[in-house]
Amino acid sequence: MNSTVMHLLIDAILDGDVSRAIIEVKKLLNAEVKPERIIKEGVAEVMVELDKKCTVEYFNLLDIMLAGRVIMAVVTVLYPIGIPSSQANGTIIIGTPEGDIHDLGKNIVKIMLMGKGYRVIDCGKNCPIEELINAAEKETANAIFISGLISTIIPKVREVKSKLLQRNLKDIKIVAGGGALKQLTAKRLNVDYVAETVFDGLNFLKELHEEEL
Amino acid sequence: MNSIERITKALNFEIPDRIPVIPQIFGHAAVISKVPLHEYLRDGELLARCQIKAFQRYKYDAVFGLMDVCVETEALGSVLEYKKDYYPLIKKYALSGATDPELLSIPDPYQTKRMSELLKAIEILKAELGDEILIVGCVLGPMTLTVQLLGAERALYLAIDDIDKFTQILDFAKTVSLKFGLAQIEMGAHLPLVFEPSGSPAVVPHQFFREFILPRLKEIFSEYKKAGAAANWLHIAGHTGSILSYYPEMGVDIANFDYYVDPLKAQKMLPKTCLDGNIKSLCFIEATPAEIASKSKKLLDLFANRGGYILSSGCEIPPESNPENIVAMVGATK
Repeated sequence: MNSTVMHLLIDAILDGDVSRAIIEVKKLLNAEVKPERIIKEGVAEVMVELDKKCTVEYFNLLDIMLAGRVIMAVVTVLYPIGIPSSQANGTIIIGTPEGDIHDLGKNIVKIMLMGKGYRVIDCGKNCPIEELINAAEKETANAIFISGLISTIIPKVREVKSKLLQRNLKDIKIVAGGGALKQLTAKRLNVDYVAETVFDGLNFLKELHEEEL
Repeated sequence: MNSIERITKALNFEIPDRIPVIPQIFGHAAVISKVPLHEYLRDGELLARCQIKAFQRYKYDAVFGLMDVCVETEALGSVLEYKKDYYPLIKKYALSGATDPELLSIPDPYQTKRMSELLKAIEILKAELGDEILIVGCVLGPMTLTVQLLGAERALYLAIDDIDKFTQILDFAKTVSLKFGLAQIEMGAHLPLVFEPSGSPAVVPHQFFREFILPRLKEIFSEYKKAGAAANWLHIAGHTGSILSYYPEMGVDIANFDYYVDPLKAQKMLPKTCLDGNIKSLCFIEATPAEIASKSKKLLDLFANRGGYILSSGCEIPPESNPENIVAMVGATK
């Protein structure tokens, strides 16, 4: 029965239907299915489907946002006060650097990370680099995701790695994405990875996770 | 052959004396004149003087009466934040607390701040440069202006949750685009570039573009032509491969294509439309002049037998670009 309901949940999320998804997730919780399992076998499966659908050429925000809105609602039902560290796949700091207020991409990445079971600390838009680093240090983060649409933030993004090293935080990975940043290679941007799409960034994290295991 | 004649040849797939070259130089014109960008964006006369200086320095084929993507939304009540040497950011959207376009009125471009400065810039460019070089104005397309009035997330969700309200706002935005563009033509622009980044398939599926954006752009372009526009130029960045086939139906004469799009694919999809593109914008900061010259030559070679081509960047050449890179691109055509 749970497997059928899980598929109904997946269908509802892919269909962008918030009300239906919440009904299905509540059914699963009533059947004592643990939130971690709903994330792993339900929400994360949606991500796999979206990843297949949204190739680099056919990626569009609207499709992602529709699913993202449902994922956010489902995650809120599962974890009303946020995903606890003990159950999370890791902690990610995310932000749009100072000088850039385009946060749509960042918000989508945040939702998808949460849907994959990561604990996400959102530093917002127009955010000083120091704030991202402080949050990463305080929260013992696994990675910092930096989203940026405009070229003027590039010099600031390049500073993040050296500032992390100054604080002996060399294990924290830096992932960059967004209109301007993805035009550069990771080496030119002085980050660990440049993600073409949100799913590309998620796959980088998955590979990191597998390496750690 | 002057620039207008050269571009006309390219539009008609005839052989010009050389391939026209239009680096998309907007804020970079301020930087090379050592004028603070945030002042350039608010002063029509200053903008025109900087554009003329940039043209005199580089000798390309078009100047731009173009400020940034926030001119229209500011005129409609959005609150902007201007920072030194940056393009402005929207602090509060005009429709931040509502979705009713009736709360807004169509601005008079001649009387409304920044719109009137942009018209002044075009008037000066026309007085100084006449019909020797293409004078390009700029309007936001209706989808992009809708996003600039509501914020991207609200605009896209509204399109799904309340399509009637969304189309009302889209129609309102279309009227703003039309009126502003017609004023630019009246003040001397040879054409208003229609900038519609939010119509990109990276933002909305191509079916959405076909149903909601195409008919409105078609109407806008038709009216511009009636008003005397030399050509209709549509600028959408990103992966436009899935919507290029709609361009002829909209009356597009010049199609910008970004670095994501294979030039041969663009040629195949638009066999009778003049194309402009597609060097990656950031290369003008990151690459060397020799690399830019090489990329330019490769594009010129790809279009050598076809014609119908303007050498350009895929999007704006960033303000902080290396001037030698622009010299290299222009030089490749000569």
